Amino acid sequence: MRSRSGGWLLAPALLLLLVAFVVPVGMMVPMSFRPYVPLVGITDGFTVRYYTKLLTDSYYLEIIGRTLALGFTVTLATLVIGYPVALFLARTPSRWRSWLTILVVFPLMLNLVVRTFGWIALLAQNGLVNQALRALGVVDAPVKLLFNFAGLLIAMTHIFLPFMVLVLIGAIQNIPRDVEDAARVLGASWAGTFCRVTLPLSAPGILSGSILVFVLTISALVTPRLLGGPTYQVMATLIYDEFLQRLNWPAGSAQALLLTLMVLALVYLSGRLARRTGARA
Amino acid sequence: MSGAAPALSVRRLRKAFGAVLAVDEVSLDAAPGEFLSLLGPSGCGKSTLLRMVAGLVEPDGGQVVLAGEDITRVAVHRRNLGLVFQSYALFPHMTVLDNVAFGLRRRGVGEAEVGARVGRMLELVRLGPLGARYPRELSGGQQQRVALARALVTEPRVLLLDEPLSNLDALLRDEMRVELKRLQERLGTTMIFVTHDQAEALILSDRVVVMEHGRVEQIGRPEEVYRRPATPFVARFLGRANFLTGTVAGSEADRTVVALDGGALSIVAGPRPGLVAGQAVHAVIRQESIRLESPGDGAGPAGPNRFAATVVFHAFAGQAHHYVVQLGDGRELAVAAPGAAAPLARGARTLAGWRPEDVTLLPGGEPGPGAPR
Amino acid sequence: MTAARVRGWLLRAWVALAFAFLMLPVVVVALASLSRTSYLTVPPRGLTLHWFTQVLGDAEYVQAIGFSVLLALVATAGAVGAGVAASFALIRRRVPGGALVSALLNAPLVFPAVVVGVALLQFYAMVHLNGSFVGLALAHMVITAPYVVRAVTASLQGIDPELEHAARVLGASGPVAFFTVTLPLIRPGVAAGALFAFIVSFDNVPVSIFLLGAGQMTLPVKIFTAIEYGVDPSIAAISTMLIVLTGAGLAVAERWIGFHRFV
Repeated sequence: MRSRSGGWLLAPALLLLLVAFVVPVGMMVPMSFRPYVPLVGITDGFTVRYYTKLLTDSYYLEIIGRTLALGFTVTLATLVIGYPVALFLARTPSRWRSWLTILVVFPLMLNLVVRTFGWIALLAQNGLVNQALRALGVVDAPVKLLFNFAGLLIAMTHIFLPFMVLVLIGAIQNIPRDVEDAARVLGASWAGTFCRVTLPLSAPGILSGSILVFVLTISALVTPRLLGGPTYQVMATLIYDEFLQRLNWPAGSAQALLLTLMVLALVYLSGRLARRTGARA
Repeated sequence: MSGAAPALSVRRLRKAFGAVLAVDEVSLDAAPGEFLSLLGPSGCGKSTLLRMVAGLVEPDGGQVVLAGEDITRVAVHRRNLGLVFQSYALFPHMTVLDNVAFGLRRRGVGEAEVGARVGRMLELVRLGPLGARYPRELSGGQQQRVALARALVTEPRVLLLDEPLSNLDALLRDEMRVELKRLQERLGTTMIFVTHDQAEALILSDRVVVMEHGRVEQIGRPEEVYRRPATPFVARFLGRANFLTGTVAGSEADRTVVALDGGALSIVAGPRPGLVAGQAVHAVIRQESIRLESPGDGAGPAGPNRFAATVVFHAFAGQAHHYVVQLGDGRELAVAAPGAAAPLARGARTLAGWRPEDVTLLPGGEPGPGAPR
Repeated sequence: MTAARVRGWLLRAWVALAFAFLMLPVVVVALASLSRTSYLTVPPRGLTLHWFTQVLGDAEYVQAIGFSVLLALVATAGAVGAGVAASFALIRRRVPGGALVSALLNAPLVFPAVVVGVALLQFYAMVHLNGSFVGLALAHMVITAPYVVRAVTASLQGIDPELEHAARVLGASGPVAFFTVTLPLIRPGVAAGALFAFIVSFDNVPVSIFLLGAGQMTLPVKIFTAIEYGVDPSIAAISTMLIVLTGAGLAVAERWIGFHRFV
């Protein structure tokens, strides 16, 4: 009888991952410790200066802080906007449900550059948002919405909202309706049922949706680059400039590894947390 | 079972999943044309045994011999066996015709012959006009028949059936039992039938293999395993029985006397050579073997195995009355009386009696799988 | 029940606003592409299809579209091949360290794409794959394969393994059982995974932008650099074409395989 081990079936995928993912990312570790000398290039030797600079220099600390702040606010905004949408889509008996879900998927599938471009048109000095604000008499002069935190927050909330909604739909659909009905029969109000039953039971979805949005936000390159320009930097655009403008690969590698470390730590911690809450539930 | 070479032999077959021994050195033979049931509770290893015969599970040791040929190392698809799955496993993306034709096409049979043989097989299982349907458009019973047709059309040397009737409702199950038995008599195919339903095994089988914890407890004709269970497990698993523990008080040529634990009562069983006085035994008495008589009928508690009793529970179940009666020493016996008989009320005084030959004596110790046979 | 009805309407209003927020940039781009003005403006002043003909007449855009399609097709083929085999192994076979393998296969989903991009930029420079189509295609396979694995895994989990066993007992070898029984049954999952892979590859900027060699240009990187130079309605026109194509593709995929089940 044939062996039931799946080794050779996994070989192509694992080989691909090894060659084009694991080894290249691993090679960044030694690179991040090599000294870069302007006009000479990457030299032999060993230095930790790129790490110390990242963690002490106020320029880098501000960028790291800004990246994390964006991560938190975008995650919170997508959660607040997205939860009711997910609740509706998960529970509506409408025969349009699958098409409404596809409408959430649509922006996700649409080219990211195109979506970001839409926000440029909306948030520019003479863009639609400023036109509307002035027409409504809210402001007199145009509000600056590009190349700052507000613009990035709005656009990235839009871009990552579908991820949050889709994860939450899955989590809410997994809650048995009987449990909510039981709470109602036992005398809980709608709000009580929601706060004590629905919300806690969708906590795993809230956690994984939040981690996903946070990780994607702090890793994002295209939207911060196009809406923040070369001056309003986040970690991803910093790495981009280090590699393509300044050609300082060791510094870029150190920055890329720090970003990777932050992402992996978050994913790992959320996994631990999910297992603990899962075990308790 | 004498003379002819077995259609299928299993020799010292063994399989462990991790630390659990699923099948522990099982050996058995199926004669050509025999209907053999593997009966046991879920997890007893009967399905694993069947899957090792089919080649879907690789044994850790032992042999599977098909008509004299060792097929232990032969690939699944070269064994030419039929297997009917509990879930039927009909291919949902194929019509009934394509499902049944699947095995023939894999064997390179020409399309003209495929058509003819599939048509004949569908007639045989009374599905003639439904060939163009998809499995989801069929009832449970019809799906079951497609699964049978698909397994039989390649004329397998042995047909294996893995709890094929357990997904049907009770009425349909009775119908399909009859149909399966007829099909087997007509085609003469050797069938190995896995079930946890003792009634099904008794009705269908030429012989029953009772399994527990990966081992064979008893192999025998249905009356054999039912009337003369070899182990306490078999006695408990087949039918409803009362277990009384005691010690052998006397073993004679025509009878064996057992003093029940507690000392007050003793019962009489048929002759059981090999048992010696003082040996601990279990006395097994089936519920339907016990008769209840009103005390006025006879001359009081005379003769062997007649005890005064009080009815403490009664329930009517259609074909039977279920009673629990209490004997003089306080022990309780479960009794099944024919449903047509007049019921006894709770509290009624009665006589409980049974024939010595209805008592099965099993050597003592704790009733369980470790009991010697 | 009035309180419940008010809640219902409030929820609907919120959902409607959220959908409006989701669709707003899309609508704005489509409108801007129709403006007669040479600068970007919404609502459009005058109506014209001039920007569409200009983009389609621009050799750089046409070549970028062709290159992106080719790259996405190659990446999808590779990702589907490796992904379907890996999914089958993970679901149907015993794989030592299966959880770890599965985590590794899915890692590119949450791994910062920009890091993958710069890591490959360095690595390809060392092994002299820089600027090569092979290197670019391998990179795209790595970032698209997880989508295939996810969709196909979900599909396989819904298929009774007994169907393969049945095919085997009926005389089909392992590969024959896979191609006659399993593959036809997981076709929706494979199709959804392939569609995902194609779109993810076709849209990618943060990996491609580091790996494109001289004379190579993908459509999204082309639009990205065009925006950095300055926005005009021709960018809106090419964007609108992508909006229409994506929308139509999704609608077809939903009708055909119920695409939303795989997201």
